[in-house]
Amino acid sequence: MRANVWSGRNTVQVENVPDPKLLNDRDAIVKITSTAICGSDLHMYDGYIPTMKKGDILGHEFMGEVVEVGRGVSNLQAGDRVVVPFPIACGDCWFCRHELYAACENSNPNGGLAEKMFGHPTAGIFGYSHLTGGYAGGQAEYARVPYADVGPFKVEDDLPDEQVLFLSDIFPTGYMGAEFCEISGGECIAVFGAGPVGQFAIASAVMLGAERVIAIDHVDYRLEMARNKAGATDTINFREDPDVVEQLKLLTGGRGPDAVIDAVGMEAVSGHVPVHAAERLKQAARAETDRGAALRDAILACRPGGIVSIIGAYGGLMDKFPTGALMNKGLSIKTGQCHVQRYLKPLYEHVKAGHIDPSFVVTHRLELGEAPNGYETFKHKEDNCVKVVLKP
Amino acid sequence: MGSKAAITLLRSHEEVRRLWNSPEYPHEYIDAVDASVTFRDAPGDRGTEIHVELERGAPRGKLREAVQKVVGSASLAKVKDDLRRFKQRAETGELPRSEGTPEGERAERKLKQHPAQPLKESELEKAGL
Repeated sequence: MRANVWSGRNTVQVENVPDPKLLNDRDAIVKITSTAICGSDLHMYDGYIPTMKKGDILGHEFMGEVVEVGRGVSNLQAGDRVVVPFPIACGDCWFCRHELYAACENSNPNGGLAEKMFGHPTAGIFGYSHLTGGYAGGQAEYARVPYADVGPFKVEDDLPDEQVLFLSDIFPTGYMGAEFCEISGGECIAVFGAGPVGQFAIASAVMLGAERVIAIDHVDYRLEMARNKAGATDTINFREDPDVVEQLKLLTGGRGPDAVIDAVGMEAVSGHVPVHAAERLKQAARAETDRGAALRDAILACRPGGIVSIIGAYGGLMDKFPTGALMNKGLSIKTGQCHVQRYLKPLYEHVKAGHIDPSFVVTHRLELGEAPNGYETFKHKEDNCVKVVLKP
Repeated sequence: MGSKAAITLLRSHEEVRRLWNSPEYPHEYIDAVDASVTFRDAPGDRGTEIHVELERGAPRGKLREAVQKVVGSASLAKVKDDLRRFKQRAETGELPRSEGTPEGERAERKLKQHPAQPLKESELEKAGL
């Protein structure tokens, strides 16, 4: 089959690789009909995620048709149309039983490696380095889905791929980020990053009843989408004025947002040119793995007693993390890889009921063979790119 | 280097003991070395803890220890593999396999991963699949 593989920094290529086979009784094979490039795929493309190997198939946002199931999978059969959540979860460990699927203790066969980095093993993830298991990803014609009796969500209604594909990651991820903010009505929420996850965090905060949602980014067309499609009430472009904290205070009468969402992660950009240059340098020299411009501003802007919700992906260590502001203002941090399995059904119902049409983020539709161009366009934000969907 | 390892299974004390003694849930390395194994109830709803202590400790001699650290076959790492594999089998009924680590969790595999793409027939055979 054809698959998009990582072959070094800034290089992916579509190659012929063997077709996947069932390796366990609880596996299924899915013929992929739609798959997407995620912002976190760029962290690997850019070379910031360790434990990548040449030939790794990328991709953790995919859906398709079940073509084969192992003996242990009784809830699916060939022909079923499914969306596959990006974290692989066994459904049986203490964490899965408590709906903390992204912390599944069993699904990562390189758990020992993750334990050395993070103190504990974390769940396996499709196409997301060997630290999260070394699983082949979904930017391919077929994928093997382990523990297929737990993850895949059957789509039984006649909804197009683009409306349900993002249940695999970015919609639940954005939604969880908004849910962390404990919105009960009347809140002001600041969302750092108007990429695809940021767009869904904004839309979800609006859906949950926030009164004002402020989007922060440095790319105008993304802020336009935030305002016109996701429902942001205000926007800040930090290329125009790099002092995000002050602008957020002015927009909130000096109070600061009740909660802040970091939908940026480890490759944050600062509007202060010297600060950004210093961060790039430290990251290149491996003095830090995670750039902190967005998270630092988020913490400094958040009102005392507020909530800092982190859904942007971080991988290691950050320099100059503002512990003083965090502690003295009494902030709460909530974070995590999304426990996607928990949100599939409720968010699917929202889509079905027409409360949200997740396809609003799609700007580019390409054939799988065009994946390398898709990565370049997405990375450099060319051609007003927000989200690339690949069709095998 | 420590000589103790522990893991918790979401299973009752009796069941963990029963599975530990069943040949379908192997823990060959722990059996082969001189280790003491104890079971304890975990607090609340958290299941049962397994504690393993290597009686004679990790390999004797600094040099041997250093060599083993590099080649990734230090005793404790293998004990931990056994524990994780036992937990995976006991809780989920199977050993999770990825394309990078088709044999399942193994300390020796950590530095020699297969690329995360499906294996060829010959590679599957080599991995015993």
